[in-house]
Amino acid sequence: MTDRTYMCYSVFVVAFLLCVIGVCETNARDVDVSFKTCLECHPDVQKEMAQEGTHEPFKKLECASCHNPHATKYEDLVKEETGKLCKGCHQSEKGLMARKYSHGPFEKEECLACHRPHASENRMLLTAKGEQLCFDCHAKEGSFSKKNKHDPVKKGRCLSCHSPHTSDHEALAKKGRDELCVTCHSIKNKKTQKSHLDYPVEGTECMSCHSPHGSDRNALVKETLHKPFAQKKCMTCHNGLGAQDPLGLKGKGAGTCFACHASTEEDFRKINSHIVEGVFCVNCHSPHASDESHLKRGKERKTCCRCHEDTKGRLKEKKNQHKHPLVKEGKCSSCHRPHGSNFRFFFGADEIATCTKCHERHAKFTHPIGEEAVDPRSKRGISCITCHNLMASQYDFSLRLDRKKALCLQCHKGY
Amino acid sequence: MFRKIDFFILFLLLSLILPGNALCAGKARVKHLTSITGNKEIGCFGMLGGVFFDEGKERLYVTDSTNNRILAFDADFKYVSEFTGGGALAFPTSIVKDSKGRFFVAEPTKGHVLMVDMARKSMEPIDFSAVPQANPIYPGNMAVDSADRLYVVDKANQRILVFGPDLQFEREILVKDGQGLMDVKVDAAGRIYALSAVDGSVCVYDHQGNLLAKFGKRGADQGEFDFPSSLALDPKGLIYVVDQHKSQILVFNKEGQFLFAFSRLGWREGRLHLPSFIYISKSGQIFIVDRENARISVFE
Repeated sequence: MTDRTYMCYSVFVVAFLLCVIGVCETNARDVDVSFKTCLECHPDVQKEMAQEGTHEPFKKLECASCHNPHATKYEDLVKEETGKLCKGCHQSEKGLMARKYSHGPFEKEECLACHRPHASENRMLLTAKGEQLCFDCHAKEGSFSKKNKHDPVKKGRCLSCHSPHTSDHEALAKKGRDELCVTCHSIKNKKTQKSHLDYPVEGTECMSCHSPHGSDRNALVKETLHKPFAQKKCMTCHNGLGAQDPLGLKGKGAGTCFACHASTEEDFRKINSHIVEGVFCVNCHSPHASDESHLKRGKERKTCCRCHEDTKGRLKEKKNQHKHPLVKEGKCSSCHRPHGSNFRFFFGADEIATCTKCHERHAKFTHPIGEEAVDPRSKRGISCITCHNLMASQYDFSLRLDRKKALCLQCHKGY
Repeated sequence: MFRKIDFFILFLLLSLILPGNALCAGKARVKHLTSITGNKEIGCFGMLGGVFFDEGKERLYVTDSTNNRILAFDADFKYVSEFTGGGALAFPTSIVKDSKGRFFVAEPTKGHVLMVDMARKSMEPIDFSAVPQANPIYPGNMAVDSADRLYVVDKANQRILVFGPDLQFEREILVKDGQGLMDVKVDAAGRIYALSAVDGSVCVYDHQGNLLAKFGKRGADQGEFDFPSSLALDPKGLIYVVDQHKSQILVFNKEGQFLFAFSRLGWREGRLHLPSFIYISKSGQIFIVDRENARISVFE
């Protein structure tokens, strides 16, 4: 090793040591002065100390573990974005992200939507007690306001069935639809067997007939019933008790449904079709009971997004703030035909007719549209969706590009 | 001193070249040739279904589904003729041709696959009576192998129906490894490639229907699909998959490893808007049904 190289190494080592010492000293100084100094200007923080549950660093007066006393990019002088900051210590929460379903605030890393950062009267530093926390966001309407309520709902124990952060099961349920209910309810007793007309219902999905929250009907049976189910005419569709497979279906595939709903079969015979294998009607409709119109298995958007995962993702993207009002309401079938269509986008008519059905004024007064108004880029007729992306856009009026320049300049290049 | 400068230049070059190269991989390999659009002679295209390039006659056939017609174009993509079956053709989608010159055209709204003789202007449905059915057959995309076997996607039963050269039903291949069957193609070795949209999978079967390989999934990462709708094989055996909702074509090698993607959402030539179908000719020309732009985009 030459003298020069030796000197370089020495300088590097000394510089490194100085940096390490400097960082340690800075942190030590932060912790040392932090709480006293903080309290001088933030007396409200002291009040929080008196609360029952306190965050560990807060209890130890380690303000600097989350805050930088001088300057940061983030509100309240926290060191990092909330999610990253919390996961810096709460490592186990990182692993939860691998599960299929996430609670909205958890996915967006908005930990403070449910938790307080310093102290709380509630367990787990929650912002409110029990069900009150959940109902701050989830409207206490619909099945929650029904005459008969599920026991955990009555007691405000949402977490009896749901996981607060993530789950591998729909609706953040703790277990699958065929396992969750039998955790508490036995279906092998005589009363339950009799109420199911002695059909072997073990292993079936209780929630295809029963509401997990509440109902005006006895036994929390959902509000809208399929006619044969209401009339207890199970053998309209099923083989019946005498058969080897009592719950087996009489018809082949979706023919079971089309035996009565013949006209619906025609709806699927289109060039755009939601036809798939098996009894495909039950992908979207419950064959027994539902709390939704047309016996839909769930809210319309949720039903559609079970397959259209990418659309769900696009709607959730923060930048896509501009959406058609019907998209916001989750009324997919207002524009799209749910079974099949011979028009683009599964619309019920061509694009212009679909839009001007509601937007009547635009049928008479708008940028030229129709087959005569040719888009110079694609050489096809201009329609409403040439300029608008109604599902989700980052631009005003759900436009595809900025209306102040980029959108018009796509075609009007001379301007 | 020189060494330091050398390292600095090398670092700059690497940082500039590497990401650029990764991004431009698709562009460099695939070039947009032309676009076939509606015009005064043929009118506006409706919703386009499938395309087929006849190597022998050098004709491109396009099904214009909502205008109930099949259009023929020459090797320079100039319009040649239109076939409507005397007005009897109803919403034709997929189109293929065998070595005997017989066209097969899917009419899903009627549940038919028609054998079409364009010269004689005759159309006759293939006999499905020997095909076991749970749901009535809903014919989707089709393929023909080197032995003139016809493969038909039956979306209503998640299977591929195989008909012999005599058009007798031979067997079904159940695509139980996928969900939402959309497309089928067959390579020169007789391997069958099936694309399913709901789980975003490509399943490869031998001619007996035994699963050989499976790849692909839906997701937001590189090489994952938003909503795949069609696939094709190029002469080198690469697998091209149309991602309809990404408005992009993703290319995989024979092992199912993602290689590169090309094109993106747009209206100008070379860009795509909700593409729905892909066909690759033996010479390597790539025909894409650019459904929302109402055109056929040709790449090579």
